[in-house]
Amino acid sequence: MVSTATAEVPKSGKGLNVAAEPAVNHIEAQGLNKTFGSFKALEDIDFTINNQEFVSVLGPSGCGKSTLLRIVAGLIPYESGSATIKGEKVRAPRPDVGVVFQTNNMLPWLTVRRNVELGARIRNMPADARDAAVDKILDVLSLTKFADAHPHQLSGGMRQRASIGQALVLDPQILLMDEPFGALDALTRDKLNVELLRIWQESRKTVMLITHSIAEAVFLSDRVLVMADRPGKIVEEVTIDLPRPRNAATTRAMPKFGEYVAYLGKVMGVAS
Amino acid sequence: MPGVTSRLAAYSQVVLFFGAFLLFWEFGVRYFEVKSYILPPISAIAVAVWEARSEIFENSMYTLAEVLIGFGAAVVVGVMLGMVVYVSPFAQRTIYPLVTALQTTPKSALAPLMIVWFGYGFISKVAMAFLFAFFPIVVATLGGFAGTAKNLEEHFRALNAGPWRTFTTLRLPSALPSFIDGCRVAMPLAMIGAIIGELVGSERGLGNLIMLGTASTRTDLVFGCIIVITLISLALYALIEFAAKSVWWRGIQV
Ligand SMILES: Nc1ncnc2c1ncn2[C@@H]1O[C@H](COP(=O)(O)OP(=O)(O)OP(=O)(O)O)[C@@H](O)[C@H]1O
Ligand SMILES: [Mg+2]
Repeated sequence: MVSTATAEVPKSGKGLNVAAEPAVNHIEAQGLNKTFGSFKALEDIDFTINNQEFVSVLGPSGCGKSTLLRIVAGLIPYESGSATIKGEKVRAPRPDVGVVFQTNNMLPWLTVRRNVELGARIRNMPADARDAAVDKILDVLSLTKFADAHPHQLSGGMRQRASIGQALVLDPQILLMDEPFGALDALTRDKLNVELLRIWQESRKTVMLITHSIAEAVFLSDRVLVMADRPGKIVEEVTIDLPRPRNAATTRAMPKFGEYVAYLGKVMGVAS
Repeated sequence: MPGVTSRLAAYSQVVLFFGAFLLFWEFGVRYFEVKSYILPPISAIAVAVWEARSEIFENSMYTLAEVLIGFGAAVVVGVMLGMVVYVSPFAQRTIYPLVTALQTTPKSALAPLMIVWFGYGFISKVAMAFLFAFFPIVVATLGGFAGTAKNLEEHFRALNAGPWRTFTTLRLPSALPSFIDGCRVAMPLAMIGAIIGELVGSERGLGNLIMLGTASTRTDLVFGCIIVITLISLALYALIEFAAKSVWWRGIQV
């Protein structure tokens, strides 16, 4: 991490120049490497995610997707290269970045409402603003009826939605999601994809979504990054040129949708 | 209503079993002509307890106070030590092995020492109850904190939660089920500690009454005291069980 301090100087200078207007590139990795002991988890990762862009990361299990997300979220250190958010080197978790983890992180002793407002409480958001934000999110995620239930009383899909609510409550500009729908059946997953799309189309956050579902990646994203394993690296980048706003029925019926899915399937087959 | 009848059946089984046991005791002792200073019939024990009721009650309260104060002190000191050991690697390397080593000494052997240090009165018995209850609570508290789910800790890190907030909102509730388990083990031990202390040297308490009863071959009174001690222990255990109900999230993983 230390070794990149000098290499980074010109970049942060560029970051200063654009500070007056919203930074265009929100998430950037350059020559990023990560090892666990002698195991090389990530090698030479390069990518950029722009402001309000929705980018998915596809890759086989164990290729380092979660590791990459943790680095971008400031949760774990890395050896060399750089990871930046809005031009600033990532050193610790940031308040403008929301994270949805692969495992849902509900506290079993708190109600759904309390779980969703956890981040707001931790960040000391004023009570009125907090209550308003939570009410809105519970409504958007169709969880209002379950606000006073405890997590173990919810279905898997509801828990996933609540986990997303935990990240949305702070209205972060940047949302990092690690297979938020990984454990769900295809039908529930499709439904939640539609909900996620709706939320994104309304609030236009910068999103990095990790998934292993090709259809999900194509349906939601502006761009898809494909990773291969051993060591984890990005092997392909596909821009998804499907019109927005997208729609569950029409978008998935477009011939281009099928072409993207087929192409990515082929790439993944080669990559994994 | 199958629920009610099956519960009734369960209760009646318990009542029948204990009834049969007591009847067997009462008449078995008479039938086999067991000497009453060896094993008195249950009716004689009941009579003895009734006749000595004010004495037994007074001594019960005395012992109960020793147990509760010793247990309470064990909870306070045990939880504090558990926390210190959890947050400080230094304490983990130094204090914790020391406590573990002390734990392996048979604590009953410490009873005479407690009496030398704190006298024949109340304090030495509180110390004994404390010694017996302390270690399970330290271990359980420490285990509870250490068992905080790693994914939740990461979640709190991602939210920039400070150490205090993480402690009160995450670690403490995570540790509670394990802590309650520790109390479950420690409460009967506190009673054992207090009674051993009283047997080794005391002026009051149920253990003292047992010693007096033994000295005057009042086996009926000795049995009466043992039964009262058991009942108090059961009641204290039930109290912990009741408190444990408020920590309902034990074992729930979401
Ligand atoms: N803390 C760690 N210590 C050692 N190795 C680790 C650690 N975390 C991850 N790894 C290894 O790094 C590799 C990538 O793990 P990661 O969790 O990033 O994979 P992933 O792409 O998210 O997989 P999945 O799709 O199954 O979630 C794996 O081989 C894993 O064993
Ligand atoms: Mg993963």
